[in-house]
This record gives sequence, structure tokens and C-alpha cells, in this order.
Amino acid sequence: MEEKVGEIWHRLITRAADQRHPEAAVSLKSVERSVSLLFRALGGDGGLEVKTTSSDEHGARRSLLQRIAGSNKTVELAWRDEHSLRLPAIVDWFPESRLNRDLYIWLAALAVGEPRHEEPWFSRNQRLTAATLTRYPALRPRYLRLVEAHLMQRIPLAKLPAAEKSQERAIRNALLQPGSEPRLPPADRPPQAVPLWLHPAPPLAVAERQSGDDPDGKGDRGNRLQLEDEHHRKGERAKKPEAQDKGLITIRMENIFTWGGFLNLDRGSEENDDLDSAADAARDMNTMSVSRDARASGGKLRFDLDLPSEANDDLVLSEGILLPEWDFKKQQMQDKHCRVVPMLAADAAPCPLPAQLRRTANKLRAQFQQLAPARCWQYQQQDGCEIDLEAYLRYRTDRASGRVASADGLYKDLRVGERDLACLLLADLSLSTDTWVNNEARVIDVIRDSLYLFAESLSATGDQFAMYGFSSRKRDPVRLHQLKSFDERYGGVVRGRIDAIKPGYYTRMGAAIRYSLRLLEMQPSQRRLLLILTDGKPNDLDKYEGRYGIEDTRRAVHEARQAGLQPFCVTIDNRANDYLPHLFGTGNYVVIHKPTQLPKELPLLYARLTA
Amino acid sequence: MTSAASPSEEKQPEVPFYKPQHNEVALFEHAYRHQLPMLIKGPTGCGKTRFVNYMASRLGRPVYTVACHDDLTAADLVGRHLIGDHGTYWSDGPLTRAVREGAICYLDEVVEARKDTTVVLHPLTDDRRILPIDRTGETLHAPPEFMLVVSYNPGYQNLLKGMKPSTRQRFVASRFDFPRPDLELEILVGETGLDATMAKRLVNLANALRALKDHDLEEAASTRLLVYTATLILGGYDPLEACRAALVEPLTDDEETTTALMEVVEITFGI
Repeated sequence: MEEKVGEIWHRLITRAADQRHPEAAVSLKSVERSVSLLFRALGGDGGLEVKTTSSDEHGARRSLLQRIAGSNKTVELAWRDEHSLRLPAIVDWFPESRLNRDLYIWLAALAVGEPRHEEPWFSRNQRLTAATLTRYPALRPRYLRLVEAHLMQRIPLAKLPAAEKSQERAIRNALLQPGSEPRLPPADRPPQAVPLWLHPAPPLAVAERQSGDDPDGKGDRGNRLQLEDEHHRKGERAKKPEAQDKGLITIRMENIFTWGGFLNLDRGSEENDDLDSAADAARDMNTMSVSRDARASGGKLRFDLDLPSEANDDLVLSEGILLPEWDFKKQQMQDKHCRVVPMLAADAAPCPLPAQLRRTANKLRAQFQQLAPARCWQYQQQDGCEIDLEAYLRYRTDRASGRVASADGLYKDLRVGERDLACLLLADLSLSTDTWVNNEARVIDVIRDSLYLFAESLSATGDQFAMYGFSSRKRDPVRLHQLKSFDERYGGVVRGRIDAIKPGYYTRMGAAIRYSLRLLEMQPSQRRLLLILTDGKPNDLDKYEGRYGIEDTRRAVHEARQAGLQPFCVTIDNRANDYLPHLFGTGNYVVIHKPTQLPKELPLLYARLTA
Repeated sequence: MTSAASPSEEKQPEVPFYKPQHNEVALFEHAYRHQLPMLIKGPTGCGKTRFVNYMASRLGRPVYTVACHDDLTAADLVGRHLIGDHGTYWSDGPLTRAVREGAICYLDEVVEARKDTTVVLHPLTDDRRILPIDRTGETLHAPPEFMLVVSYNPGYQNLLKGMKPSTRQRFVASRFDFPRPDLELEILVGETGLDATMAKRLVNLANALRALKDHDLEEAASTRLLVYTATLILGGYDPLEACRAALVEPLTDDEETTTALMEVVEITFGI
């Protein structure tokens, strides 16, 4: 009974205190495409991803009702760092969804400007606002509408104590006339959050981690932990409404769990004292599978391993096949940076095609046999089924004008043409392929079936093709599993190798592409197609994640294109539209939304690509 | 068959509008004076063809323009025998005609032509400056007024179709790009007569859209599209709708991209 009353009271009071408008909410997902395109169009960096922000406690004054209800403690603010543009996952500040949408657009436009994080929040945002409005005067009406709606939501000046009053007045002026207030008057509390402005102190973990003037790496850790902490909260946010909101009346254990997020940070700093044991533990955990649902611990593991890898990053590799890698920060190629180790499952026993694939394989083979090169007319032949009129005309005119003309090559013939084409299929065999796509199959099973059917179909056309799988453990080694080389015939042995593929390690895509490029370059064919089959972004344990990996892969794709190859990516990652256009360019990739369709889709895709 | 053009000089006596971006006019004149062939590269719609026409009328020479395509044969350039009432007769192709008349021969999108076709250009583009015609047994010596100009778009989708290096190195080359914003503004005003404020907004918009090349769009918004848009606006068409019709829709087929692009239009251009 007590609980029931509490719940009803809670619902009442939060509704009364709530200034948000869930009925008009606009989610980032729904506007992501427009917002990211707009960001780039206005001059933002094309390599940045659009991601959601975390919610932070603002510590500012709340209205009485909100204090009673215990709501409005946190706020989501936008910012931009060198890897991503961070926007709130949901905007529900305003009663009209149009205004909420406009807020997204405004934030994206604002974030294009030079961030200069060292500049104080107050003047920085005014400078950015003023600059944006001058550059895009058409934004002014929208901005003014947003300011007007937002000012109504701020606590009225009359209700504030004197010190906060002057601060609040300055903020209001700054919103109405950006650039007019040089300084924020001090007050006891932080000012109320301004959703139209960028984050006052965004957690710029990665930028600082790279600065590297901290000899023993302590500073690095602190910052990195901050970043993980932000992930952590994000994961928890879904829980919060139930756990936290019941807080006023009954003290429940859930509250303690929400505190767990913060305690986590303390425990992290305890571990900092003993770097060796932390690194040891991390090394032990290296063999552990990282599954998707254990996000927080997965993130932690990655962080710890960063330290040793950064430390011996200058090691020059000397043996094996050494390939360069692109460092986008330095804008230069790092020579001999990755070691590629070609691998062959030598002990894989030859095997027949799995029974469940036979029907599809037969159907595809039949389709592909029709695709085999069509017959076409060959002109100026010694012998043929018809007269080549053009050649004959030339012959007659030459003779008529009194010149000696040879009478050979006056026929044309219908002959089988030749498809001068070589294709290399590069499949991602990283650990992420271990996840399940449905109750029966994992991603790797889908990839295995795709490889089977692809090989079956291509052997019917007679096109030159090779198949490789890749995975990596940092830059040494990048493993390339040879499934079928260009010289081998497709048969039981190749099927045995396909059967033996298993998920492992990470996705250093750039190195794998560069290696494939070298293989394809040796092929004399006129058209050379590089098909890349993957389930996610390029990533690896060391700095090969996020933008670094993307830029390196992009570079490798570019090299392939310059060498006259045709790179094409097939992915089953639903979020691929965020980064693949940057990597491969629009029209050079395809997202298969239902992974189980991949085995059937892949050969058909090949047919379309080479038609 | 090629679009074997007739000399365009008589038809358009006045010099077409052209705003030099760089030193290309001087370069062209020097090349013309010293009988060097010229290669122009640049993206679609940045003014390559216009430049050639402008230079031709400036120098007082007719132009033969050939739009190259992958079925273009050497015979299409040089000429062929045709059948007439009294047997066959020889008909000059555009290249041969240009050589005979001392005109400018302009091969547009030359990489589209098959590589073996462009080999007929070789003897014309070195110091021999001759055009041997096997079929008639003739060898034409190009007069000093003859000039060969070729153009192509290096960023084009089909990178497999590069130009043969041995062909490429026979030319004096100049790279074109979309004009600087201030120049593009003058071009818009000069070409269409649009007022400067409107033109400035259009140019801003075009530059915003150009930033999306490779990532969201396959090709950048060209100056030509801007001119189209300006023409529509001048004709009294609603500016936002003109942008949609002449700038956004021609650039993409994807509906989501179109919506997003219109958002950009509204912000950079809108009222």
C-alpha cells in the first residue's frame, strides 16, 4: 500500500515538475542523416561520427517542484571532439517537435566552428553563436525562436538570489545578443544549463591521452577512466527511471546500485597504484571472449591494454611481409608498420558441400552458367559465318582507287567472348563474427555459407577468383588465411579450408586490403574486383580503433582504387551507413540488413557488379 | 557516329562570356603560338568547354568539338569512305577537317574513347605535326593555326579508364577547378544577370554542397548547375524550389539525402 501511494505521488510530482515534452520528442536516430550531412556541408570534418552524448549532473539551481520530485538533475549537452560530434540522444526541451528538431540542426551548425576548448564556456559559445549567425543569416529566425522558447523555461529572474540574478541576466543577454557579454559574473552555484550551447567541459579523454608528456602514464589513465565512466552511465540510463525515481518516499536498494557507477571510478583509481598488476590482469584477460552485452568490462579491458601497446609502439618490424599503415594525425605513411602472416589450414580435410546448401548452390550454378560470357561478333576474321561489310567496303574502295589491297579478314564470326576479370574476396574473421544472428547461426556461419556459395557460383562462370580471410592482433601479426588462391582449383580441399574458418582476434582492415592489393596486382586481368565482406568497423586492440582505423582503411581503399582495382564492401553492420560512405564512397558498398540473406545475396551481387 | 561539329565561329560571332580563373588564358595563347597541344582536366561543369570556345573566338579560329565515347573509332576522327551515287568517296572526320582548315579540334572527355583510338593523335601532337591517313594514302601537315585540345575529368567514377601515360605526356596541361567564391559570383552575375546578393547566397550554397563530395554525393555541384539555378530564379521561379530542381535533385536520387540537402539549402540560402 505504502509503495503504491508512493508511486502515485511520484508520478504526480514528477509530471508537475517536468518541463520536458516527451510527446514532442525528436530522437537523434530520426534526424541523424540530415544532421550529419548538414554538419559536413557547413564545413565539418567528414571523418567525424555522430554519436550520443552522456548526461551529466549540472549542479545548478532547480525549481522547488523539481527539487521535491528529485528530477532534472542531469542534462545532455552537445560537443565535438576530434573523433565525433556528440549530440543528445533525444531532444524534448520544447513543446513543438519542430523546435526540438531545429535544436539539433542548430547544435550541428554551432559545432562546426573552431571549438577552442581552453576558452571559457561563456565567451566561447557566444563567439560560436555570433560566428554561425553571421555566416548563415538564414539561421537567425530559427535561433531566435529557440532562444525565445528556451528563455520561457529558465527560472524567472525574480525567483533567484541576487548573486545568481546577475549571472542569469548575463546569460539571457548573451543568448539574445551573442557577443554582448564579455564575462560571466560569479555565483555560488553553476548556472542553469543552456541547451543551445555546447558542453562547458566535454570529456575530451582521447585528445589528452595522446598528448603524452606524462612520463609514467598516470594522467592518461585518469582521463581514460573518465571516458569509460561516461559509457557506463549511458548503459545505465535505461534503468534510471525505475531505480532513481522512487527515491523520495522509500529507500530502496536500487539507489545503491546507481551509486555503483560512481564507486566504479574509485576502484579504478585504486588499481592505478599498481600498474604492473593491472597490466598483468589485462594480459590474462586477453584470451577471454568479449561479448557484446558486457560493454563496460569490454571497454575497461581495452583501456588497460592500451598502455603496453603505446609503450612499445616504435618497435620496427623486420621479418615477414611488412606493410605500411597510415597515421591520420601525422598525415603520413608509417613504413613497415604491420606484419602480415599468410596462413593456410594445411590439415583441413577435404569435405563436400554441406547438404543444406546443395539446392541453393545448384540453382546459383545454373544462373551463373548463363552469366558466363555471351557470344559476340568478332570482326575482320579470315573466316566466319558472315561477310564483314565494313571490311569488304574498305577492300572494294581500296581496289577501286587503284591500290593493292589484301583480301584477308573480310568475314565476321560469332564467338564466345572472354571475361577478363579477377576477383578477390576478403572475409572478416574477427571475434565479432562469433555473435549470433538468430537462434541457429552465428555471423561466422553465415560468412562460411556465403564463401561456399560464392565459390560454387564463381567456379561456374570460369572467372578468376581467390578467397582470403583475415584477422589481426595489433599490427603484428595480421593473419591472412588463404582459403583459395588464384592458382588453385576450387574443390574439396578449398571447401575443407572454408569449413575450418573460425572467429578470432580483431579487424585491421587496412593491412588486409593492402595485402590483397598486392595479390590482385599480380593478376593480368583487365578488371580486378576486390570484394570485402565484413560485419563491422575496422578496429584493433591498439590505437587502431575509431578514426585511426577508419582513416587507415580509407587510405588503403584509395590505394587500391589508384592501382586500378575496384574495391567493394559488403557488410551486415546496420550502422554501416555512418562510416562506409567515408571509406568506400557512396555506391561502392552495400548493407545486407538480414544477415541470413548474405549467402544468397553475395553471388547475385557479384553478378551485378561484373555485368 | 560522332557529333561531327561544324565550325562554330560563324554562328556565334561575339565572344562567349568567360571569367579567367588563373593564368589559363595566357597559357592557352602561348601554347597556340608555339603549336603545342593542350590538355585540360577538371570536374564536370567547371567551364572547360566554355573556355575552349572562348579562346577559339578570341583567337579567331573555328572549333571542331568531338564528344568522345567508348565506341569512338579512329575512323570517326579521321574520316571514312562513304558510298555515293557514283561509287565510294572519302569523307573527312572532324580531326582531319580541323587539320585542313587550321582550326581548333577539341576532344571532350577524351578518356571515354578507347585507348587505341587516341593513338592516332600521337603524330599530330609531337613536333612532326602530321596526320597520316592510311585509307587515302595522304599525309596532312598541320598548319600553324591548327591546335589540338583535349579534356577529361580526373575524378570521374571510372578510374580504370585513365589516359595512357604516353598520350598524356604529349600535352601542355592545365588543371581546372570550380572557381573561387568571388569569381564564381562574378561568373553567375555575368552569365545570367542575377543580382549580387542572390548570387552570393547561391555560391555559398554550392560551396556547402561541394564539401559533401565523396562522402554523401558522388559529384560536386557544378558551376553549370548554379547557372541553371540562377536562370530559373531569374525567370521568376521560387528560389527554394529552383534550388531543389536544379541543384539538389540532379545531384542525388536518394530521398533521404534529398531531404537533408534541402535542409542545407534552407540554412545556407533560405529566407
